[in-house]
Amino acid sequence: MEGFEYVDIFATKGIEYLVVIAFLFILVFFWRWLNRPVVADIKSRDLNKNKISLIDWFYLADNFYYHQGHSWVAPSRGDVVTIGIDDFAQKLLGKPSALSLPKIGSMLKQGDKGIELKIDSKSIDILSPVEGEVLEINEEVINSPELINMDPYNKGWLLRVRVPQLRTNLRNLLSGNLAKAWMQNAVDKVSQKFSSDFGVVLQDGGVLISGFAKEISPEKWDQLAQELLVTYNALD
Amino acid sequence: MKSGSGILSLVTAESKRFIKFFISELKPKGKLFTPFNIISASIITLGAVLIVIRFAKGLSSVTNLSQEFPWGIWIGFDVITGVAFAGGAYVLTFMVYILRQEKYHPIIRITVLNGFLAYVFYAGALLLDLGRPWNVINPIIGNSFGVSSVMFLVAWHFMLYMIAEFIEFSPAVAEWLGWKRIRKVLGGMTLAAVIFGITLSTLHQSGLGALFLMAKSKIHPLWYSEYIPILFFVSSIFAGLSMVIFEGSISHKVFRHRMSQKVHASHDDIVLGLAKICAAAMFVYFFLKVIVFIHEKHWLYLNSTWGYLYLIEIVGFVLIPMRIYVQALKYKNITVVKFAAVLTLIGIILNRLNTSVIAYNWQALNKYYPTWMEIVITLSVVFVEILVLRWIVNRMPILSDPPIWASDEKEERIKKIYLIKEEEPEKWKVSSM
Amino acid sequence: MDRRSFVKTLGIMGACTLPGRALQAENMGDETEFYGILVDTTKCVGCQTCTVTCAETHGLPEPDLDALWDSDVPRKTSDKQWTLINRFEVDDQEYYVKTQCMHCCQPACAAACPTKALLKTKEGPVVWRADKCMGCRFCMVSCPFDMPKFEYNSPVPKIQKCVMCWERLRVGQKPACIEACPEEAIIFGKRRDLIDEARRRIYEDPELYVHEIYGEHEVGGTGYLYLASVPLEKLGFRTDLGTIAYPEYTKTFLYSVPIVITLWPAILLALNNASKQAHESTEKED
Repeated sequence: MEGFEYVDIFATKGIEYLVVIAFLFILVFFWRWLNRPVVADIKSRDLNKNKISLIDWFYLADNFYYHQGHSWVAPSRGDVVTIGIDDFAQKLLGKPSALSLPKIGSMLKQGDKGIELKIDSKSIDILSPVEGEVLEINEEVINSPELINMDPYNKGWLLRVRVPQLRTNLRNLLSGNLAKAWMQNAVDKVSQKFSSDFGVVLQDGGVLISGFAKEISPEKWDQLAQELLVTYNALD
Repeated sequence: MKSGSGILSLVTAESKRFIKFFISELKPKGKLFTPFNIISASIITLGAVLIVIRFAKGLSSVTNLSQEFPWGIWIGFDVITGVAFAGGAYVLTFMVYILRQEKYHPIIRITVLNGFLAYVFYAGALLLDLGRPWNVINPIIGNSFGVSSVMFLVAWHFMLYMIAEFIEFSPAVAEWLGWKRIRKVLGGMTLAAVIFGITLSTLHQSGLGALFLMAKSKIHPLWYSEYIPILFFVSSIFAGLSMVIFEGSISHKVFRHRMSQKVHASHDDIVLGLAKICAAAMFVYFFLKVIVFIHEKHWLYLNSTWGYLYLIEIVGFVLIPMRIYVQALKYKNITVVKFAAVLTLIGIILNRLNTSVIAYNWQALNKYYPTWMEIVITLSVVFVEILVLRWIVNRMPILSDPPIWASDEKEERIKKIYLIKEEEPEKWKVSSM
Repeated sequence: MDRRSFVKTLGIMGACTLPGRALQAENMGDETEFYGILVDTTKCVGCQTCTVTCAETHGLPEPDLDALWDSDVPRKTSDKQWTLINRFEVDDQEYYVKTQCMHCCQPACAAACPTKALLKTKEGPVVWRADKCMGCRFCMVSCPFDMPKFEYNSPVPKIQKCVMCWERLRVGQKPACIEACPEEAIIFGKRRDLIDEARRRIYEDPELYVHEIYGEHEVGGTGYLYLASVPLEKLGFRTDLGTIAYPEYTKTFLYSVPIVITLWPAILLALNNASKQAHESTEKED
């Protein structure tokens, strides 16, 4: 009825605004859901099938995440990850005489001391690569610490941790090509230490013997180890 | 982490520190009786007196507003032109946070601060213009939502945009106060605030144009078309950026002592980059105007005083500055760029005033001219804004580098990883609080 | 169920439907149509009774009736006068035209008002409510007839315009000016009926009237309708306002707002994501 009755041409505007506000709110969650950290790449149980790269002297598991303190993180299921130390660290230190792992239920903070390894009489700290709650510790490794040296990326795992902010934590870690570059840099540092300190040159590029920290600096090897594993400076 | 009583004691301790700190910060830095201070203080005092008169006796005591001209320079200049000038904030945040053009990162904080203050003060100027400002609460609290109104939309967008800009700017405040955890939280909200801000800006820049859509019978045909909103939006892009160039050149001199090396060194590069974007936007705007010109058959009106004014505005203050920008880019001449920026700003003032005041009710017999009192009040609003800007820039890390604990941008971290190849062992930052 | 309770149930069911039917009937009869006012300029003699009565009824200052028509320029209503009579001389004949708010069917002012202070009532009049108005004057900018007037001289300013005596309509009275007119030049009724009446007058007297009802289609239809015997431009009417209701001009913009609010964040997030990947891949190449 044109012009004879009241017609509100903006009748639906109020509801439209409400819908749009709801959209914006839901968009936040939708976007985060869409951009969940991609954990499907890593098949959690088949660690054996991991691609391993050799960076000069040290092995790297290709799809793990690494902390500058030479620990590795492998996302397991949901927000649970497995943690261990990498080939560099185990070669640096050699076979530990004892391990001190955090208790189940304790909270770790990324960059804080996480694991303590005792080699001979000295103890070395490894920094925790993530922030979260310890769910499980590897009993086998406590009984047989040489597992760390034999299979650092698989049977030598140390902890299972629940990391609520997994994506944020992973962002602070190295992976893929970045990790390889970092490992290459570690190699360079170590070879410098060899050549400068003792004049010993490794010509054939063979695999380093286990516990090479002691080779480089027999008296102060723990200081050297802590420096290379970054715990030395973290104590500042 | 802490127990309930621990939080209470934390808050009280922090409040005490904050109050002491704030009071100490209130002390002026630098000479008190500079020429600028004296002039601005006198104008602000005069403006304050006039504002009191305005509220005591009604709008006609200080303005020349009339039944034919309900909006004068307070709306036409302060609000409409001022908001166009503040458009630099949304364009720059788009470039830095969405397109990740890190080149403009050094000036992002001062631009966002300028945008935030512009909206606060120009929306504040709006309160001066309202006839019954105590009822401004009505469309806010839901007492009466006039959803059919473009002004309702513009008002709400102003408020929400101010909040978004404040969130974007707040990391600087947190850094100034040393609130580390809050700084982290605010930093995480930046992207959302930026996206929200750009969306809101698009809508209210065009919304200011849409305000005039119903004045079809009263605005001269050369300035009226159904595309006013789009034209206002596009022109706000180069208006805002030209204002960034203009203000940048002033703060470069005035705030030299606060400027970090990064900001200072990148200044010229940034100005040239902005000039390029302005030139491109003006080019597009010109052709939009051509399309509208043809669509609305504007050539019928060109041969008149209004037509000449129109041509002066488009040719003199859009086409010519665009040409000057391009020329200056070729020779990388910063001074010429600044000159082009000033011309562009004048063009925007002309365009906005034409639409809202000059060509509005163009057939009316008694024209509107602002009284000296309206001009003084406008100037005092501008001066107060400048003083607040100066106070903030002199204290907070806007042009200076943020404190070390705050530089936790992810890009910085990635860059640090690439510095592994250096000899010194790297200090590992504890990244959690 | 025995017969008694069956009849009882039937009775109760029947009784329940009664209010429903009564409500329905109420709804059907309740479709209020607009009221309007028809101004026949051929009958107006310019006695100004309507002007004076309007001022009296609404507590406005008494209009100054001296030297009304000395100037050639048509006078306009003001913040102290809601309606007035203008005199026009066309072909040596004098015509008197009452001017006031047109009470449009789709008022620009009501659509413009951010606080719903100006409201188109379903009875027809466009009214102003003091408790809601914040004095932004956007209604003044939007009105094609420039009718809302503002009290610039007052620290508590009001918008002043004709409200078709809405308060009187609600208690069953007619607008004051209608009752005051001695010539019945202005009549009050349902807009539909008034248009019929106007058409009837034109039909019965085609030589006298211009064959047009001003306000029938202008700006989508107005509550005030005018008949005249000379072309309406000569009587100070604007005939270039078009037939589209003015709120329609903002409809496109207002309805694109939710679209922009939906699309822009999505596009911006996509761009942000794309630039992040471009950024990281260029860094990896370093």
